[in-house]
Amino acid sequence: MIGRPVFAFVLAALLVTPVLGAAPKDAPDITLTDLSGKPIRLGDLRGGVVLLDFWASWCIPCRRSFPEVDALHRELQSKGLTVIAVNVDEQQKNAYMFLEKYPHTMTIAFDPKGAVAQAFDLQAMPSSMIVDRRGRIRFTHEGYTDKTISLFRSEVLQLLAEGE
Amino acid sequence: MSWKTRVALALTLSAAGLSATGCATVQPWQRGLLADSCMVFDANNTAAYMTHWQEAREGSMGGFGVQGGGCGCK
Amino acid sequence: MAASSRRRVAFVGAAAACLLIGAAGYNWAQNQLDFSFHAFQDSRGVTVLSPDANFSKDFTDRTAVKIRFGVDAISAASDSCARCHPDGANNGRVVSGVNVTRKYGDARLTLGGEFSRELFYTATTALASVSRDLNKSNTTVAGGFAYSFNKPQLHPSETTESQHSFDAYGSVTQSWTRKTVTQFGYEINQINGYQTNPFLRTSVNGVMTVGNSPDARTRHALSARLRQALPADTFLDADYRWYHDTWAVDSNTLSLGLSHHFGTSVVGGGAYRRYTQTAAYFYEPFYTGSPEYYTGDFRLFPFDSNSLTGRLELTPKGGLMGMPAGSALTLQYERYKSTTGFEAGIFTGGVRIPLK
Repeated sequence: MIGRPVFAFVLAALLVTPVLGAAPKDAPDITLTDLSGKPIRLGDLRGGVVLLDFWASWCIPCRRSFPEVDALHRELQSKGLTVIAVNVDEQQKNAYMFLEKYPHTMTIAFDPKGAVAQAFDLQAMPSSMIVDRRGRIRFTHEGYTDKTISLFRSEVLQLLAEGE
Repeated sequence: MSWKTRVALALTLSAAGLSATGCATVQPWQRGLLADSCMVFDANNTAAYMTHWQEAREGSMGGFGVQGGGCGCK
Repeated sequence: MAASSRRRVAFVGAAAACLLIGAAGYNWAQNQLDFSFHAFQDSRGVTVLSPDANFSKDFTDRTAVKIRFGVDAISAASDSCARCHPDGANNGRVVSGVNVTRKYGDARLTLGGEFSRELFYTATTALASVSRDLNKSNTTVAGGFAYSFNKPQLHPSETTESQHSFDAYGSVTQSWTRKTVTQFGYEINQINGYQTNPFLRTSVNGVMTVGNSPDARTRHALSARLRQALPADTFLDADYRWYHDTWAVDSNTLSLGLSHHFGTSVVGGGAYRRYTQTAAYFYEPFYTGSPEYYTGDFRLFPFDSNSLTGRLELTPKGGLMGMPAGSALTLQYERYKSTTGFEAGIFTGGVRIPLK
């Protein structure tokens, strides 16, 4: 008698990925290295909205997302958005080859050992995290579709409208 | 089904079962080598043509599965 | 005509198996156009030229389409044709297929179909397959089903026969480490209907006669594949397949290959393949008395074969001969030799053009 409702619950749980209304987590206080070797500490960027976009030369959807994220950076930088494109290639020369093909204005940072990816507990590639003015991760995206950029834009504008 | 078929099927299913549990998980950002064209199954159409050609000349068929592995990108 | 007859009757399982391999195996966001050109020449003097084109495109975030079109142009006389067509026979085969893949979260569903037509044979196939990524894409399980309806015509008679082929497969792909991935697969194919090759003959009581095969066949194949990244930009590929069917044809296929990145634009590789098969239970080199089944189809004979393949893939930085950057040229040559005395050389040239 108890079997059927339990079974239905388990089936529902397996089929549906519930979105639990958990409180936003603080972004880990990581430090990245940029193209020139300078350190970038995420904590130093508080006060503004940060979009961390994890990419790799071998990630096929990144070929589409990379220029579009860069365009978003150019569009919203003056309003307070900082975009950091975090590369996770184990061999940086592959990242450099990709960057030669795709011009960019946003900040590029390197995470060849995956420490930062691990700190953010990435579930898929590509992944993006949007951090609010108070340093909390408010939005997480996995994968890249035609709708992703407009989602980024509306989420960033929402966070920019919030005070500190 | 002959005993040989049963044994072979059992071995493959066990291997597949072990596969599914996985030992150390490869993290999504560590898949660079797995995404290389040399590491991907059936990366090109030449392989499909050769399978077709072989099946036209030999008595056997198929058995090979479908893409997985690779970059694992969403 | 021997080449085309071989090809024709081969579609029984080949169409279904190839489609299943080509269909659900889709690398998302990889829009591209592939042109390949295959040329083979065998020890019987048959030459076949086959161009084919494959087009893959995502139409929405979640839907992708793959379209395939191929032509076989067969020329040169062969044993079977030459009996009645001493000046040679020209024949052509056209194959076209479409499949659509839709993403549902971590799962993908593919539905597709293929149609091929040539003189004296048509094959129509419908297929469906699903695959699902688990464990952060470290494990992919997939399964599919294909149904083919094939109609051989018993040239020179106008009689058309039919056969129905049902094919199902399952596979598990597992990434074990950053450098190791394996795939295990099982496929079963049931064919009912006319399965005799109407062109290949054997000697029955001294008279050359077209064969007579049973009209039901169940085929099983189990495979294990490995891809291993080695040091110095080198990669190992190893594939093994065990096959058994209810006509008592048993085979083992082992293929081992190595490939290497020479700089950033060139990939070179080679592979060795060994194949051994036993004969169908009703095979005899020649027949006497009143056998129920008899065959002159070389695919049911016992034999071994060895083949060596060399491959080169070039992806020049600035693009290829006016084509966009990322275009690749593939050149491959295979030399195949079997203990039946059959030998063939197959050359393939292909171009892959990425599309936005």
